[in-house]
Amino acid sequence: MTTNTLPLQHAVTDGAPPAPAKAPSRRSVASMLALAPAMAFAGRAYAAEPPKDPPVFRIGALLGLTDKGNWNALVMQRAIQMAVEEINAAGGVEGIKVEAAIEDHQGVPRVGVDAMQRLRARYDIQAVLLSYSAVGLAVAPIGEEHKIFMLDGGSVTDALVGPFKYLYHNRSVASVVARAVLTVPKQMGFKKMAQMAAVTDDGQSLIRAAEADWKAYGGEITATEQAMSNASNIDTQMAKLRNTNADFLAVWQFSPGPGLVMKRAREFGMKQPIIGVEYTADIGKVAGPHSEGYIFASDYFNPNASDPWPQRFAAEYRKRFNDNPEVYAANYYEGIHVICEAIKRSRAQGGDYFTGERIRAALLANPKVPSVYGGDMTFKPDGTGLKRVGIFKVTNGEAKFQNFAEIN
Amino acid sequence: MDLFAQLLVNGLGNGSRYALLGLGFGLIFGTTRIVHFAYGPIYAVAAYAAWLAASAAGLPLAISAAIGVAGAALAGAAVYGLAYRPFEARGMSSHSVLILSLALSIVLDSLLTLAFTPSVQTIPEFTAPIFILGPVYVTALQLGQIAAVVAVAAILTLFLRRTRYGQAILALGDNRDMARIVGIDTDRISLVVFAIGSAVSAIAAVFTLLNEGATPTMGFNPVFIAFVVAVVGGLGSIPGAIAGGYLVGLVESLGLWKIPTEWQNSIAFVLLFLVMLVRPQGLFSGLKR
Repeated sequence: MTTNTLPLQHAVTDGAPPAPAKAPSRRSVASMLALAPAMAFAGRAYAAEPPKDPPVFRIGALLGLTDKGNWNALVMQRAIQMAVEEINAAGGVEGIKVEAAIEDHQGVPRVGVDAMQRLRARYDIQAVLLSYSAVGLAVAPIGEEHKIFMLDGGSVTDALVGPFKYLYHNRSVASVVARAVLTVPKQMGFKKMAQMAAVTDDGQSLIRAAEADWKAYGGEITATEQAMSNASNIDTQMAKLRNTNADFLAVWQFSPGPGLVMKRAREFGMKQPIIGVEYTADIGKVAGPHSEGYIFASDYFNPNASDPWPQRFAAEYRKRFNDNPEVYAANYYEGIHVICEAIKRSRAQGGDYFTGERIRAALLANPKVPSVYGGDMTFKPDGTGLKRVGIFKVTNGEAKFQNFAEIN
Repeated sequence: MDLFAQLLVNGLGNGSRYALLGLGFGLIFGTTRIVHFAYGPIYAVAAYAAWLAASAAGLPLAISAAIGVAGAALAGAAVYGLAYRPFEARGMSSHSVLILSLALSIVLDSLLTLAFTPSVQTIPEFTAPIFILGPVYVTALQLGQIAAVVAVAAILTLFLRRTRYGQAILALGDNRDMARIVGIDTDRISLVVFAIGSAVSAIAAVFTLLNEGATPTMGFNPVFIAFVVAVVGGLGSIPGAIAGGYLVGLVESLGLWKIPTEWQNSIAFVLLFLVMLVRPQGLFSGLKR
């Protein structure tokens, strides 16, 4: 057991990839020999300590339930509740029940901060699912200060990657998805890109990632226009984008924004290919027939994958909600399972195991976790989950998988 | 020049929708002095009523639109009769009524979410014809919005000038106490004003439904636009609401020609600030309907 605990503690303290090994000096070898019995004793004492079980594993979630664009928050909520019910029906985690404490951040960072503080004050929360980049940026410092394990399956902003060691991501971030979808116009030999982005941190992250990638490829950016994610009047932006005669239009917006962009682009006579990073039922509804040919990159949730878990999840989700699961449902369902898996691993180490620090340590010790996307997902030291990003094309209103993006 | 022409057309189209919003909001505020923030959810009710009629009942679009307008009129009257009126009868301050209107807005938004889910609801069978005039693309919806403003302004003007109810509304807007003294049933007239104002906003809501679909929170931005348009144009003035609507629409569209588009939401409020600075009573407040 000693050998298990030491690497674990090492990982907790730095979280960075291990440095190349150095030959120990004679002095340090002597110190280590002197300390060895004490370390062995300490390790045994730690490992032998029985697990201090809480009455319930309460997992927090901050969702934009009453935000103006709350469609995805309600999808997240039902996926979370479904995961909790399934886990409890199977006997909980090591016989202990799981509960979700869901708070509404309304899409407003200040409200998110209050909600996070409420979760701490009421439940002494140790693990929480986050959503929305702006809210994530506001609450992550609180989680960091109080060592709360945070998992974000919704936002794609790169701004949340790096500064917060307790914040993990099970959705591919902007730098990944933007590069993934830009492989398509590169293959087509296009050079001139026009961009339409949301005035959100996610939108800005995607602009930054796409511009860097496209310029490195030798491409030209003819126009960058922006609108609020729930804007209903984007006519000026579309007229300006059309005027630049780009080879293709990149949409760095999220549901239902891309739907209106596609609709108005076609109504304004733009015939260029349109690419993006999301396609949902709402986007399809707003775009109508104008979504035909839309190409997007996204984490690839395939309900028909050969792995039984995605199949089971998709079938149950459809049964419960009469709706097909998409990326938000899959990620928040998966988020609960990831945290429960980490709790299970942490419990095996004994002691006061249900803390944000120990949950994080469990994932650092073994960053591979089962994924509802099929197979395993591996968390990188910066907290981002490595998933394969798929390229999809909309045909007759349905997103059809094309291939996995080849990005370095 | 091609871009300018397209932006001009866009500004006229959106300005028409803003004018409709300002007409309804201005009529309600100018007459009853209630800052009706629940105007937003009522706008959404209109879109959902039209959507239900068209999608669930399969009715023709014109009849569905009429149902949307009627639904909004009923909902607007109900909000006044069941919520604002009891507050006024108890002599509550205008601040209390303002807070009530905000609370109502949140409650109605939530009820709409429960009833219809937050998903977008559209009428997939509808596709707006597009007309190409040289370098300019004009949709039938844009033309429809312009026609709607002309029709609504004409009908409203005639109604206010030629009917007893219209005269009573004008009297109430001028002086509520005096209107009561001369025997006008101010409660009933306020009810009628809420119904008419909501019905006018419903026309804009149906256009929004056809353009981008209905969501429970679709009325959030329109309330603020309606407020800006009504104040810029002059509260309670029909020509003012129309001028205010087109001014906001054109400034928003043409202003973004050279200004980065992330400033879009600020432009209407900058305009409001400037008008308040130069002409606090609004552009047309000196004129009577």
